[in-house]
Amino acid sequence: MKILIVEDEPDLSSAIKDYLTSEGNLCETAATYETAYQKISLYSYDCILLDLMLPDGDGLKLLKYLKSLQKTEGVVIISARNALDDRITGLNLGADDYLIKPFHLSELNARIAAIIRRKNNQLSNVLSFNEIGVDLNAKTISVNGQEMHFTRKEYDLLLYFIYNKGKAISKSAAAEHLWGDDADMADSFDFIYTHIKNIRKKLSDAGAKDYFHSVYGVGYRFSDV
Amino acid sequence: MNLFAKYNRILLLVLLTGLVAVGILFYQALTYTLNGKIDENLTEELMEVNDYAHVKNIAPAPPDEPNLIIEYKKAIKATKQHQSGDTTFYNPKKKVNEYARYLKADVVIQGQPLHVLILNSKAEQARQVQLIFWAIIIPVIFLCGLLALLNRYLLLKLWSPFYQVLKQIKGFNVKHGNYAVVDTDISEFKQLNEAIKQMTVQIEDDFKEIKLFTENASHEMMTPIAIINSKLDTLLQSHTLAENDSQALLDLYKATTRLNKINQSLLLLVKIDHNLLGEKEELNPAELIKQKIDNFQELISQRSIKVYCSFDGTTISGNKYQFDILLNNLFSNAIRHNKPGGEIHISVKNGLLNFENTGNTHALSESQIFERFYKDPQSDGVGLGLAILKQICIKQGYSLRYYFRLPMHGFELQLGH
Repeated sequence: MKILIVEDEPDLSSAIKDYLTSEGNLCETAATYETAYQKISLYSYDCILLDLMLPDGDGLKLLKYLKSLQKTEGVVIISARNALDDRITGLNLGADDYLIKPFHLSELNARIAAIIRRKNNQLSNVLSFNEIGVDLNAKTISVNGQEMHFTRKEYDLLLYFIYNKGKAISKSAAAEHLWGDDADMADSFDFIYTHIKNIRKKLSDAGAKDYFHSVYGVGYRFSDV
Repeated sequence: MNLFAKYNRILLLVLLTGLVAVGILFYQALTYTLNGKIDENLTEELMEVNDYAHVKNIAPAPPDEPNLIIEYKKAIKATKQHQSGDTTFYNPKKKVNEYARYLKADVVIQGQPLHVLILNSKAEQARQVQLIFWAIIIPVIFLCGLLALLNRYLLLKLWSPFYQVLKQIKGFNVKHGNYAVVDTDISEFKQLNEAIKQMTVQIEDDFKEIKLFTENASHEMMTPIAIINSKLDTLLQSHTLAENDSQALLDLYKATTRLNKINQSLLLLVKIDHNLLGEKEELNPAELIKQKIDNFQELISQRSIKVYCSFDGTTISGNKYQFDILLNNLFSNAIRHNKPGGEIHISVKNGLLNFENTGNTHALSESQIFERFYKDPQSDGVGLGLAILKQICIKQGYSLRYYFRLPMHGFELQLGH
């Protein structure tokens, strides 16, 4: 996938680029409104990450311009501004998602993957990982074609790990994915452990391999090896 | 005591003292004059008696005058002595006791020394004094009343700019800052106006600046936190971390999450202040609370907390987003400060939301718990949850109260009628 990262903070931009590149994406960066404007005019992307506050212009104007070109790129706004108005304006202008800084890279990756899937697979929307299948429309999990019962949070968590397959995901990122702003609640990290344990048990009961690997006790990696 | 009462009290006191003093002086002067006149009368009478004695050499019969009595008494020896003064006597002509002036003197009639006592009744004089007194006192009282009324009117009119200023200061809200200069041509009030205008402008500016500072500082912090967060995520992908590095990584994640939470909370407070969180709509508290219980299910059951609910069908008008944050904070507070195996009681009845939880066995200080960055020493929160709760309540017009009824800590919110 081709992704354009419009972000003026070089450190953040490079961290995003590294993470997404290692996921097998092709990333380009633009640090100013001008460069972003040129790149949007000249090339096509699958997804554009758009910071709203650029040193030489407003990201929302870029979004308007992009939509005026009739392009089909998915757009994720990444902004430090958590104003309701910005969010509504952004989404109304055709952005697909709105992510507030600071965010976890795994969260960003999951959102991008979801958008690209939405754009590309309009009909069948089943994401599969070896013997595990995730029906994104019906929000169900199946192993070897056998549908399983997963709670909503277990489903969300498994999907999150599959989107970020092969990556180490910290418990804090997973907790934030499930509980959002309330992730700092006492012992929320322990609940991640409990959820993962349950998911592992359900999957192995249904005959799937155990793909969860603990990473230094800080998080988990969902991978084949 | 207000300005009028104070002013009127002083005025009345001065007027009354003055009136009494003038009255006493006037009375003294009047009696002195009238007494002098009577005494003159008496002397004249004595002279008549003397004349009569010299001419006819017999004592004159008392004249035909009801207020004048002349009495004679035989004396051993006539002296030149005259004596006069006030007395009371029985007036045989009118058959009443009366006040009178008297004059005692000795005369010699036909070689016989006699004491003569001439009494002049003061009845006539008293009537005169009375008449004069009323003729003066009635207009004076009338004038006083008029003065009081005039004063009241004048004071009200003169001080009206002051009252307008006062009303505005009372209603002053730093968030709207709408001090309008009161129109007046009195220089003191003009100065007051100017001074207050300057003060309010200064306060508004300072307030805006502080808000802007908080907002900007929080925003500026977002990017560094985002960088730390993303670098941590990148670091975690490394396959070469030593075992003891991982603990540091975990701590860093926790600290970053916490830093982020503080920042988000500060921004949220600013936003609630700015009324940036949207419009009001009809809400069903019971429904929203049930959703929250669902959302917090793991947290609740992990500590074996039991939740008891009782709801009526109250609907309220409020902002959904703010009400959501309000419930979040109530729940996170009730779970965080609960004990394992404790209880949470939630009830909604007639627009009254009661949120109770078990926890410490001592009451918290109501004045402190809603302050920013106040928290229990054992708490691992950031100390802004209840401050946000209070701010939302103020903005949404809910009354908020903390109470402690062993063993429950409770919050009572009046959401509507």
